[in-house]
Amino acid sequence: MFFHIVLERNMQLHPRHFGPHLRDKLVAKLMRDVEGTCSGRHGFVVAITGVEDIGKGLIREGTGFVTFPVKYQCVVFRPFKGEILEAVVTMVNKMGFFAEAGPVQIFVSNHLIPDDMEFQSGDMPNYTTSDGSVKIQRDSEVRLKIIGTRVDATEIFCIGTIKDDFLGVINDPGAAA
Amino acid sequence: MSLVADTPPNSSSSDDFASLLAVELDSISSEASPEIEVEDDYELGPDSLEVTSPDVEDDHDYENRDLPLEGCRLSLVETVSIGVTGWSRHRVKRRKVEELEVMEKTNGKHVEYVDKFRLKCSVLLLLLLALSFVLLVLYFAELHFDLQLCAEASTSNKCLHPVVIKDICVVCGEKMEEASGVALGYIHKDLRLSKDELYRVRNLDKKNSLRNKKLYLVLDLDHTLLNSTRFKDMTEDEAYLKTGADTLKGRICSFDQQYVLTNMMPCGRLIIKGEIREAGRQTTNAVVSRVINKVQNLDLDEGSLFRLDYMQMFTKLRPFVHTFLKEANKMFEMYIYTMGEPLYAAEMARLLDPSGVYFSSRVISQVDCTQKHQKGLDVVLGQDSAVLILDDTENVWQRHRENLILMERYHYFASSCQQYGFNCKSLSELKSDERELDGALATILHVLKQVYSMYFDTELGDTIGDRDVRKILKSIRKEVLKGCKIIFSRVFPNKFPPQSHPLWKMAEQLGATCATEVDEPVTHVVAMDTGTEKSKWAVKQKKFLVHPGWLEATNYFWERQPEENFRVSQLKNQESSSAPHS
Ligand SMILES: [Zn+2]
Repeated sequence: MFFHIVLERNMQLHPRHFGPHLRDKLVAKLMRDVEGTCSGRHGFVVAITGVEDIGKGLIREGTGFVTFPVKYQCVVFRPFKGEILEAVVTMVNKMGFFAEAGPVQIFVSNHLIPDDMEFQSGDMPNYTTSDGSVKIQRDSEVRLKIIGTRVDATEIFCIGTIKDDFLGVINDPGAAA
Repeated sequence: MSLVADTPPNSSSSDDFASLLAVELDSISSEASPEIEVEDDYELGPDSLEVTSPDVEDDHDYENRDLPLEGCRLSLVETVSIGVTGWSRHRVKRRKVEELEVMEKTNGKHVEYVDKFRLKCSVLLLLLLALSFVLLVLYFAELHFDLQLCAEASTSNKCLHPVVIKDICVVCGEKMEEASGVALGYIHKDLRLSKDELYRVRNLDKKNSLRNKKLYLVLDLDHTLLNSTRFKDMTEDEAYLKTGADTLKGRICSFDQQYVLTNMMPCGRLIIKGEIREAGRQTTNAVVSRVINKVQNLDLDEGSLFRLDYMQMFTKLRPFVHTFLKEANKMFEMYIYTMGEPLYAAEMARLLDPSGVYFSSRVISQVDCTQKHQKGLDVVLGQDSAVLILDDTENVWQRHRENLILMERYHYFASSCQQYGFNCKSLSELKSDERELDGALATILHVLKQVYSMYFDTELGDTIGDRDVRKILKSIRKEVLKGCKIIFSRVFPNKFPPQSHPLWKMAEQLGATCATEVDEPVTHVVAMDTGTEKSKWAVKQKKFLVHPGWLEATNYFWERQPEENFRVSQLKNQESSSAPHS
């Protein structure tokens, strides 16, 4: 799920940046440092949408660096248990398949792939129904439900299922070819 | 009476029609309680006999006239009224019909009529019974289904956590406190399977592979498919390799005219470390293969010598390896299984299989071994009875010797020769190479094809699922030296029990019979020198006198080697002829 939230961060800035463009430098550094990162608590920071407040800088003794407390608005993405996501399959193997929804990696076990879909090995490993009408292979787009998440300091990993109504392949790259 | 007015003009036929309806109605009423009807008939029995004969004719008429119901255009209400009005009449008729059955069995028409009536009764009764039975079955089935659902629900409540990835169960999503089961790091770095699940998957996979007609092949890297050396271990004679692609491009090897050492691929430079993300090996492979696809036009498929600058390493692929993999891929699902580091394994897999067709997510390396210094098939997702192994080291496969096809070591670089104690010039120093068309890989490919065709041979009686590559391998091996009788002379150390010597065992596995004393059926004398009694006997009796290398070569090539290539040297004879030996 996406959230638009306000976060706070203490930014350290080298004294050489002090001058007329201090604010711009600070914001540029903030974007560099924060966008694309993942915090276990809030999820992936997708984009910074605005800076609310920059507090008073505190000079650190000895180094000359200054620490500014910065409040900024940003869009974060965090998957939750029970959430329905659309993801692109990245790898298919005997145990199931891996898919990615943006920065989130999701694994769907063969236990949670419908029973009528069987694994086919070969050059392009895939899960296929017996009549061949539905096929999951690399680059397929699937709709899945998150049933478990593991949130680390820098990474979020999810377990998903497609064994439920309205889940499964939503487009099939094999069909077009 | 509406009956007369509404029925078709032929009055007699309308009468008959009424009687027909009566009979029909009667049969319907009898469905409900046939037994009572029969009783009724008995009581009413004797008094209606005289009415019979005209009515018989009537019935005749009816039969002959053939009145289709549609033609009568009777509405349902009318039919009912006919039924009611004709009731008394029909009762009489019925009575007489029943009478007829009892009294005049000779009248065929009537008997037939009655038979029809009876038939209808019994059929309907049967239908009723069947219906009730079906209902009963359905009821129980539903009950059973409910029970099953309950059972399923109760098991799903209690997830056994068969597969765990990054400490979360992939079935229920629950977090695991401690890691258990077998790690399958080569599929995903944090994937673990419970023992039961591993068993299930390996069994499941057998069905899959039988359907696809594929067996499993586990391949070792170093000395089996390729040979690597670090820059710093290279000798002066190998320095020419470092000088760059130009000197090597298109050069034809002196040793074998057919083998062209194609241009050296400076692929190392394309994969700088920054591009290899550390987020799991899958990503690494994916990134790497994407990079490689860009340089496909640079003949990576055909290359055999690689300079990997970022690993400070040269790698030489064994001649014939590309053909070997292409052919083996048709028969086997292939795994790489190396004692090397994961990154090295991934790189080598990429050199062998740039487009990831042969080994996708089946590269097992040191970190995946469940036992230290041992390779095990437990991490291979296939039944032991369907897995063949190619490796140059027997010791690491102690648990799976029967699956192993021992490979002759491929030493290309000088460092590799030194490592194994060879003091001769290496292939690289001699600027030569193993021959492609009758080298080790080509020979073994032939054996693999033999095993494969025997495994899936439909002519054989037993079911394919029960077959075992280990038995097939054994039987093929037994054919190699069939009919040979071998004695050993001065090969085993003194007082060493000859039956337990590896060479003795090897000879027996190859189908030869071994003996300790000379006699007429002996075909080969294996000796280190010509001075022993047995050697002399062999020369005198015109038996083959061969060096132990003959046996080893035969073992590697699965074919009886020409004996003249393994003559026992005269020199050794002079050195050590004094020692008495058997
Ligand atoms: Zn579980």
